[in-house]
Amino acid sequence: MTSMSREQQVSEVFVQVADSLIDDFDLIEFLEQLSVHCVTLLDVSAVGILLASENDRLHTVAASDETTQVLELFVIQHDQGPCLDSYRDGAARTNIDLNDPSVTHAWPAFAERARMSGFRTSHVFPLRLRDRAVGAMNLFHTGSQPLTAPDASLAQALADIATIALLQQRDLGQEQREKAQLQHALTSRITIEQAKGILAERWNTNPDLAFDALRAYARTHQLRISDLAREIVDQTLDTAHIPRP
Amino acid sequence: MSEILRAFHAERGSRLSDGCASTLGMDQLSVSLALEGPTTETLWTTGETSTSFEDLQFTLGEGPGLDALRTGRAVLEHDVSAVAAGRWPVLLPALAGLPIQAVFCLPLALGGITVGVLTALRSIPGPMTGQQMNDAMALAAALALRYLGGDGEQFDTRAGGRLDGELHHAVVHQATGMLSVQLGLPPGKALLRLRAHAYGHDRPILDVAEDVVARRLRLNRDSPDEPNASEETRG
Repeated sequence: MTSMSREQQVSEVFVQVADSLIDDFDLIEFLEQLSVHCVTLLDVSAVGILLASENDRLHTVAASDETTQVLELFVIQHDQGPCLDSYRDGAARTNIDLNDPSVTHAWPAFAERARMSGFRTSHVFPLRLRDRAVGAMNLFHTGSQPLTAPDASLAQALADIATIALLQQRDLGQEQREKAQLQHALTSRITIEQAKGILAERWNTNPDLAFDALRAYARTHQLRISDLAREIVDQTLDTAHIPRP
Repeated sequence: MSEILRAFHAERGSRLSDGCASTLGMDQLSVSLALEGPTTETLWTTGETSTSFEDLQFTLGEGPGLDALRTGRAVLEHDVSAVAAGRWPVLLPALAGLPIQAVFCLPLALGGITVGVLTALRSIPGPMTGQQMNDAMALAAALALRYLGGDGEQFDTRAGGRLDGELHHAVVHQATGMLSVQLGLPPGKALLRLRAHAYGHDRPILDVAEDVVARRLRLNRDSPDEPNASEETRG
C-alpha cells in the first residue's frame, strides 16, 4: 500500500466506495480501511470515525489503529472534545494544538489523554448529512505540521464518503431508515468488542490480537466482520474454525 | 425521548402504559422476549391487536419480530400493503383481518446480545418521524438493559441506567466476552456478573473491566456476587 501513489490511493478509495454502493458490503471493514487510507493520504498518525447515537453521544465505529489505547482516545470524546463540537455545529476544526491551553481548555481531559498518547495536533471533520452532522472524523498527528487547504478538502471528502457508506441504503430517503442504519453500525461495533473478548479468553491472548485473527478469518472467507462477530457472540459459529493468532 | 424514558422508569412492573404507544405515534406496542432457541414469549401487549399479532407470529413461525430477533436489525415496514407476498407468505394473508398497516420491530440488543423485540403497530401506513424513531430506539435500549440476563428475568433499571454510561467503552464489551467464556454464561449474564462485581466492590465497571481484560481479575463460576444477591443487599 505504501508503494502506491497518492492518486492511486485516492482512486482505490473511490473504487471501494462504488463497490459499496452496489454490493452487500462490510461497513465496519470499509470504514476501517477508509481510516487507514486517511492516515496515508493525509500523512497523519491515527484516524477515528465516530458516530452519534440517538441521545447525541458519540461512539467509535472504526479506527485506523484498533489497539485499545487508541480506541480509548476516541471513546473519551463520548461527552467532550472537538468531535462533539464539530458534530453539534457541523463545522470542521483543523490544526488544533493539543499543547495550547487557550485551545484545549474546553476539553482538558481529552487533550491530556491525546498528549499522553503522544499526539500534538488534531483535526476534526463532520460527517455531513444535509444540514446536520451524524458524526465526525478525527485525525491525530504526533508532529505539528499544519494540514494544508487541499489536504483539508480531501479530508472532508473522505469524511463525506464515510457518511455515504453509512447511509448507502437511502432508497426511501427516510429518516427512520437512516437512523436504523446508524444504530446498526453502533451495534456492530459493540458486537465486535464482545467477540474480541470471547476469542481473547479462548486463546489466552489479548483483544487486539484477537481482532487481527477475526479480521483475517473474515477476509479469507469473505464474511462481514460484524456478521462473524455476531455468530461468535450468539454461539452459532464454532470458534475452533478460526486460526489462532 | 425523556418523556418516554420517564414513563418507562416510572413503571416498576413489567407493563408500559398506552401513553408510550401514543408518544411513539403508534396504536399499540408489544414486547416479546427470546427464550431458549428460536422461541419467544410475549411479555406484554397494549391491546388486542398487538396480542393477535404476536400470537400469529408465534403460531406461524414467521414475521418481522422473528426476523429482528434473528438478525439483530430493525425491521421497519411502514406500508404493510407494499410488502412482497413472499416475504412472510403465511403471515401476510393472516394479517388481512387486523387493523395493521405499519409494523416496526426493533431488537432489544446490546451488541450481539439480543434479548427480545419491541413491536409497534399502526393502522395507518407511514414512516416514523426522526423523533419517534429516536424515542423507539431509546425505549428498546432501556428494555434491552432491563432484560439483559435473558429468560425474561428482570433487573433493576435504575442500576441499568448507571450501566448505560459505561457502555461506550470498548473494554467493557471485551470483558463481557471474556467473562462469558470464563464463567460459561451467555454474554448478557456475563455483563450482569461484571456489573454485580463492580457494585459489590464499590468500583466503577470500567475499572473492573480493565482488570478482567488485563487478566488481573478472574471471576469464579460460583461467586457470591451474583446479580440478584447483589441487588438484594442494595435494596
